[in-house]
Amino acid sequence: MTSAARSLIARLVEPHLASDALGWLGGAVEEIAGGVDDGRFCALLSTASRHAGGTVKVDPDAAALAEAEQVLEGWNPERWTALSALRALLVLAREDLARESGARAVEEAFRYADEGELVALYAVLALLPEPGRFAWRAGEGCRTNMRSVFEAVACDTPYPLRYFDDVAWNQCLIKCVFVEAPLWRVYGVDERLSPELARMALDLADERRSAARPVQHELWMCLGSHGGERGRASLERELAEGPVLGRSAAALGLARAGEAAKLRGFLDRERDEVVRDHLLRALDGAHDQRSFGALSRIPAARA
Amino acid sequence: MRFFDPHIHMTSRTTDDYEAMAAAGVRAVVEPAFWLGQPRTTVGSFVDYYSSLTGWERFRAAQFGIAHFCAIGLNSKEANNEALAREVFEILPRFALKQGVVAVGEIGYDEITPAEERALEWQMDFAVENDMPIMIHSPHRDKKRGIVRTLEVAKNRGVDMQMLVVDHNNEETVDNTLDAGAWAAFTIYPHTKMGSERMVEIVKRYGGERIIVDSSADWGVSDPLSVPKTAALMLERGIDAKTVELVTWGNALDAYGRSGQIDVAALEASPVVDQTQLFADNSVLRGQPPRVDSGVPN
Repeated sequence: MTSAARSLIARLVEPHLASDALGWLGGAVEEIAGGVDDGRFCALLSTASRHAGGTVKVDPDAAALAEAEQVLEGWNPERWTALSALRALLVLAREDLARESGARAVEEAFRYADEGELVALYAVLALLPEPGRFAWRAGEGCRTNMRSVFEAVACDTPYPLRYFDDVAWNQCLIKCVFVEAPLWRVYGVDERLSPELARMALDLADERRSAARPVQHELWMCLGSHGGERGRASLERELAEGPVLGRSAAALGLARAGEAAKLRGFLDRERDEVVRDHLLRALDGAHDQRSFGALSRIPAARA
Repeated sequence: MRFFDPHIHMTSRTTDDYEAMAAAGVRAVVEPAFWLGQPRTTVGSFVDYYSSLTGWERFRAAQFGIAHFCAIGLNSKEANNEALAREVFEILPRFALKQGVVAVGEIGYDEITPAEERALEWQMDFAVENDMPIMIHSPHRDKKRGIVRTLEVAKNRGVDMQMLVVDHNNEETVDNTLDAGAWAAFTIYPHTKMGSERMVEIVKRYGGERIIVDSSADWGVSDPLSVPKTAALMLERGIDAKTVELVTWGNALDAYGRSGQIDVAALEASPVVDQTQLFADNSVLRGQPPRVDSGVPN
């Protein structure tokens, strides 16, 4: 997997590098593969910022995304920057990644990392041999206050689904809702719903309503079929009185709970075209986590 | 009026904040130890941080006529680094028992992990042994369950509920905290915790007994004048002055005064500013003439 990942990332980043940056990358990869001490490894990860932009996206096409999915199910480099990709190549250049020395070097890199380095390191974790060795570190990433870092841990990677225990997984999902990071981008939400997650989500909904604040629309993704009567009541309240975005998401939530009949009742009463559209789609079976992604395309003025 | 802001992170604030707070009537603060926005990697960082809370920051506050007390503890997020937490607990007693430390805090849950619980229990035991109040940080996510569990753990560790201040309450948790017999503190943040308007409603509903208002102002978007502003709104909305004084001054003094570390008579006296003083040869001034005895308006 490591060499397939390396090859894909190299093809993604190379078009975004100037010729001297390409030269630097070649030299750095060779140096790391030959063996470097931890200090030098960290310094090379930092120096990458002098050779690639942190705002330029690698912009993979559909074929590249399909290839990424082949390399590792759940890995999606769609939002990777050239700089993150460059750093990922440096990490993957190590030949001792499966050994203790490699794990220690990666841990050192985390310890001295700045924001951009953290983003790259968390994003590449799932591509390393035996990723479970870094589960504590990934949990640390979930505790961050930096949104970019949190999303690198949580989104577009199979890491949380595969290696988080239930406490870390539920916290990761609820934190997405809490900070309004795109929960639908967390790989495997639909595979790992639970009564406990539903309970946490419903508590959060109550808290928001007590504070007279809108409920985050992706919260309704967390219930699935585990919300019970309390979940149904909370969803119906959202459909009755929520904003366009909230009603649309609650429609998906009700469909996910298998409440098609109730949903048809709301369809008869709903006048807003955007919400009706999502209601119809939900009734048509489009209510998986990616369907919540479509809600983010509702213009803010209409939401 | 005079105010006691019993939860504010002044190391993250400027001298402009100190001036504005003093002008608005803030007479005393408690600065609990917390995390710094990102995780520390060595115990030395904790040593220097705790040292600054009991040293330079206290001096800095005094230069603006504000009495600075602090709480020492290992926060919940960093409790998840258990190797580091063990080292922190080695040095924590050297700071937690210093003069002016009014509580162990802020401690509690973040993600409600077993590591967090172990750190919470260790620190509750330490507080009980040393007869110190405890300042609880309740979690952002899964708050209600976090508070219920904190109260249970406190009960199991033999914590006197009158020594327990549970912070960051909201409408959904206030009953749990008050019913347990603990102090219920509320952080006034305009966006994520409580707004002043909501605080007014809570005081109208529950009265002033065992309720405490604080700002928790830190390095994030927050307001070091939350306490005086909320007091003004409470008065404007018809809450009587005695109740307002309880929730913005008296209750905090009562709770944290149980540490025996607050000289109430000194606090009641009109503060005196003397900016000619130095702390290890350092001044808060940058060439300005020092204010001496200019008095702080009430």
